[in-house]
Amino acid sequence: MGHMDSAVADDRYVAEYESARFQALRRRSNAFIAGASIVFYGWWFVGIALAAFAPGVFRTELGGPFNVGLLFLLLSFVLVVAVTVAYLRFASSRLDPASEQIRVELEGGTR
Amino acid sequence: MIVALAAPPPPPVDNTWAAPTIATGIVLVLAVVAFGLVISSRSAVRDRDDFLLAGQKLGVGQNALAHVAGGLMYSTVIIITGHVALNGFDAVLLLTAFVMSTVLAVLIYASPMRNVGGHTIGDLFALRADERQARIASAVITLLIYTMFMIIAIASVGFVASRMFTTSSTVNVPVVVTVVLIVGLAAIGMVYLGGMPGITRVLVLKVGLMIAFIAVLTIAILAKYKLNIADLLTDAEAKAVPNPRGELLETGRLFGDGATVNSGQDPWVHLSKAFSIAVGSIGMPFLFMRFYMARNGRAARQTAGWAALLTVGFWACMIIVGIGAVAILGRDAIGQIAAHRDITLPKIADELGGAWAAGALGAIALLSVGAIFAVLLLNAVLSFTQDIRAARGRPEDPAAELKDIRRYVLIIGFGSLIVGMAMMTQLTHIFIPTSIDIGGACILPAVVYSLFWRRFNTRGLMWTIYGGLGVTLFMVVFSNGVSGDPTAIFPDADFKFVDFEPGLLGTPLGFLFGYLGSVTSGERNDAAFAQMQVRALTGAAVPSGKGTVARDADGDFDRAPSEAR
Repeated sequence: MGHMDSAVADDRYVAEYESARFQALRRRSNAFIAGASIVFYGWWFVGIALAAFAPGVFRTELGGPFNVGLLFLLLSFVLVVAVTVAYLRFASSRLDPASEQIRVELEGGTR
Repeated sequence: MIVALAAPPPPPVDNTWAAPTIATGIVLVLAVVAFGLVISSRSAVRDRDDFLLAGQKLGVGQNALAHVAGGLMYSTVIIITGHVALNGFDAVLLLTAFVMSTVLAVLIYASPMRNVGGHTIGDLFALRADERQARIASAVITLLIYTMFMIIAIASVGFVASRMFTTSSTVNVPVVVTVVLIVGLAAIGMVYLGGMPGITRVLVLKVGLMIAFIAVLTIAILAKYKLNIADLLTDAEAKAVPNPRGELLETGRLFGDGATVNSGQDPWVHLSKAFSIAVGSIGMPFLFMRFYMARNGRAARQTAGWAALLTVGFWACMIIVGIGAVAILGRDAIGQIAAHRDITLPKIADELGGAWAAGALGAIALLSVGAIFAVLLLNAVLSFTQDIRAARGRPEDPAAELKDIRRYVLIIGFGSLIVGMAMMTQLTHIFIPTSIDIGGACILPAVVYSLFWRRFNTRGLMWTIYGGLGVTLFMVVFSNGVSGDPTAIFPDADFKFVDFEPGLLGTPLGFLFGYLGSVTSGERNDAAFAQMQVRALTGAAVPSGKGTVARDADGDFDRAPSEAR
């Protein structure tokens, strides 16, 4: 695939990719994304399956007009906020410093 | 053919809420403000990337607001209020699926796609596959989704005109046609003059007014119940339209047996909708193109994050408005059939705020749907100029391209307006769900594989995109949107066997096709994967050995990093 603009640039990407620090960054990032996605979508798929196949669970009353289904919806909204805030904080403290350092070195190296 | 397919007009409804004079007055003021914003941003448009991507200089706040604005349409704001008032818990569950999908943008779509760079998903695909085929795939998906959403956007202008700019109980054709024509031409004019910087400001205006309006309505409803949510819910349940499948706040009205006409596939029908929306709806090209406009990957991630938080707040208010509408108006005043769900929001606005509130809603809604048409048009022009040019192997010439781009705005804009208006009498309600299914079956697997799987290659991409598209369209043709249902395109025919939303099967199949295609092909490029990964995670653009200018893999000029940060 003749996409590479330059073999030199190509080599430097590969070299960086194979470096220990990049692999550590990549693992940190992938672990968070995979973990958060599993928790997040797992929650949602279990929830909609309950609504479809075990409606009795969601109909369980919790006093007054409230029931387990409404609680599930409320917690889904809370989960969106929690995952979003957690990822933004994780990325700015655990990913950005390392990725910024790599970027500066890669871009500055041949100037 | 077109005449034969013409949709029957919706049943008449006694239009007591519309305030056409006030709505027209406010919309004229809004039009002046919007044109002012567009004209004042003309100085920011000097070259191609200024026009298409707002120079990649948009601040996080502005970009996040515009991103949220892109998702607020007639169906997701006005129809959904009536849906919640009518179907309660299960409708709220579907609405929540839209909120859930925003997290996908935060985690996967935003930062890596901006870091890899470029203008469309074609830039990402081209790093992992044959460039020409990657570009064509990107253009096919983007323009197909554009066409479907564009037709809906123009129809939505007609709905707003019909519901809020005339008091006629049936469709007032002269009013509707006039409004659609004026709004369509104004939107094309704004895109032509202001490009992305101008339309972004209009979107911010739109979303600001829409959020303010819904927030005031929410506060008015809560104030009426003295902040006692339990009273509000109890009242809503007592006054709801009776439904044998469940109380308003219980699951069952949509998930229960018998919710889908002529179908034995409940509860899979609505389960599949809740699945498809959550995995597919954020994958719309006209939504995630926002991330390419951020200054860098970090800003793109923050844009997606703030957009997710805004979405949570906005849709939480929409639930209260929908539940509040049935609690305050009662079962006889809300829209009781699917075709009338869109009268509930204007009626509750009228009830709580009188003619001025109903008029303001009409004006904001018209600005809102017009802005959607404008931003869709920009997305089509973006894909058309960038993907098609790259697929044809034409070199880039950013300075000369601006004139070409503006010409495409007029050609695609006028063509779309004509097609959209011709389609207004047709049943097109399957277009948005179909687009969302494509988002799950084609775009999500292709993006996830491109970003995370080393082995992914040209055949994998082709099988994902065209395989996912093929099974989705196959299922749509044999769905209850096309036949076997009173609201289908062919209500008298019945060759359906798929009542559930195709995304439920299409999404896993899209992933499966991509896997099978990749492993059956000998093509493998570890260096390209390494380059993509380094770029996606760091945003680095290594200067090529020959010059000092960093170029993307497709030879695309990447903004100098010093400027971009």
